[in-house]
Amino acid sequence: MTRRTRLILAGICSVLIAPAVVVVILHIPAFGHHPLPYGDAINRGTVARRHVTNMVTAVNFDYRAFDTLGEELMLVAAVTGTLVLLRGRRGENVSDRPARAPDRPVCERSEAVTLACRIFLPLIVAFGIYVVLHAQLTPGGGFQGGAIIASGTLLLYLGESYRLWRRLVRSLLFDMLEAAGAIVLVLCGLGPMVRGHAFLENVLPLGQSGALLCGGLILVENAGVALAVTAGFILLLLEFLEETRAAREDEKS
Amino acid sequence: MSYLPWAIAAWLFGVGVYGVITSRHYVHLIGCLTVIQSATYVALLSIGYRFGSVAPIFYSRPTSTPAVDPVLQALVLTDIVVGATVTALLLALTLQVHKKRGTVNPERLRPFRQ
Amino acid sequence: MTALLVLMFLLVAGTGAGVVLAREPRRQALALAVNGVALALLFVVLRAPDVAYSEIAVGTALVPLMFLAVLVSLKTDRPQP
Repeated sequence: MTRRTRLILAGICSVLIAPAVVVVILHIPAFGHHPLPYGDAINRGTVARRHVTNMVTAVNFDYRAFDTLGEELMLVAAVTGTLVLLRGRRGENVSDRPARAPDRPVCERSEAVTLACRIFLPLIVAFGIYVVLHAQLTPGGGFQGGAIIASGTLLLYLGESYRLWRRLVRSLLFDMLEAAGAIVLVLCGLGPMVRGHAFLENVLPLGQSGALLCGGLILVENAGVALAVTAGFILLLLEFLEETRAAREDEKS
Repeated sequence: MSYLPWAIAAWLFGVGVYGVITSRHYVHLIGCLTVIQSATYVALLSIGYRFGSVAPIFYSRPTSTPAVDPVLQALVLTDIVVGATVTALLLALTLQVHKKRGTVNPERLRPFRQ
Repeated sequence: MTALLVLMFLLVAGTGAGVVLAREPRRQALALAVNGVALALLFVVLRAPDVAYSEIAVGTALVPLMFLAVLVSLKTDRPQP
């Protein structure tokens, strides 16, 4: 259908839906004065019950760990789909050699950019690891830290050449890390069932609140998620950057 | 003024849908999908907010300090990361479309007839 | 409803509209990065530091880079006839 038809249809639908939106907005509990019984219960009791001080991590990896399992498997599925689409075009066995781009102009990286990237890369990776490890104490977690580490390794490509990026960041290693992250999370679920507990129940010793090793199974799940997210994003970046250099004669359909 | 968060969420959603409808490039369309997703994040976090509260981290505070809702934050933060990977999947599909059909203009792509 | 909250909400609305109105995809990738920063600031003001961490790393660095990489591939990729 043409653009004008689509716009007219959208206009009609929004005129029909707008009264419902206005009624909902007027009846939602006032902003800032929402009664939140579930959140209050979690805030009051978690430090005593689970010995962690970050409520969001406790919700993510303990109370609602089942949802996190689903989200991580969704992430693995999306990454797998993307890799199948992009690698399938080029063939699996050529994915280890960096492809060349013969008619692209090669820009010399300026020394300031290289220096800045070399200074910031270890800092960002170290900060990402800190964010992952302190998930149960201060704001942080596997999802955030994994994204930070992945965006830090991008500085390798920005500061050095494409050849160095491909030589240091190997796709086989990150394939295995991502699978390992997903397997760790699933084993955290099935492990407690061996002894008769529930799926994903927190059975490890809880430790002392405020120490680095507290929370029991939360630590293991956090590590699994961090591995899967980091490796997933790095694989995506590898494939997308490799796409920019796909040589014409290598393509199989 | 207390309806502002919901109005902003509805505005972001509407602007994103308008962008999807009138887009002429698939990559631009995927960017508008990202805007639609951010409308949900704004709405969810606005539900959990309370005036005079702190973040739900009790590392150096007593547990009885009024804090915002951690459940909604847990929902949103996993969603942001997974939404980015789904965006990557959509971009890979765009590359496939460009290879098979030669164009990434949604208006010029009709369903493929055999 | 403090002035800071109102300002952050309006900023997010503005950058969201900016992402849609940037029709050329290369300009839109940078608009997405600015939108990511504005959203992260809004999340900090709404007392959600975990979510702000996610949004900065993902929305400012990773997603715009994937967009730019795809745009380069679209330009250099010759479609099959």
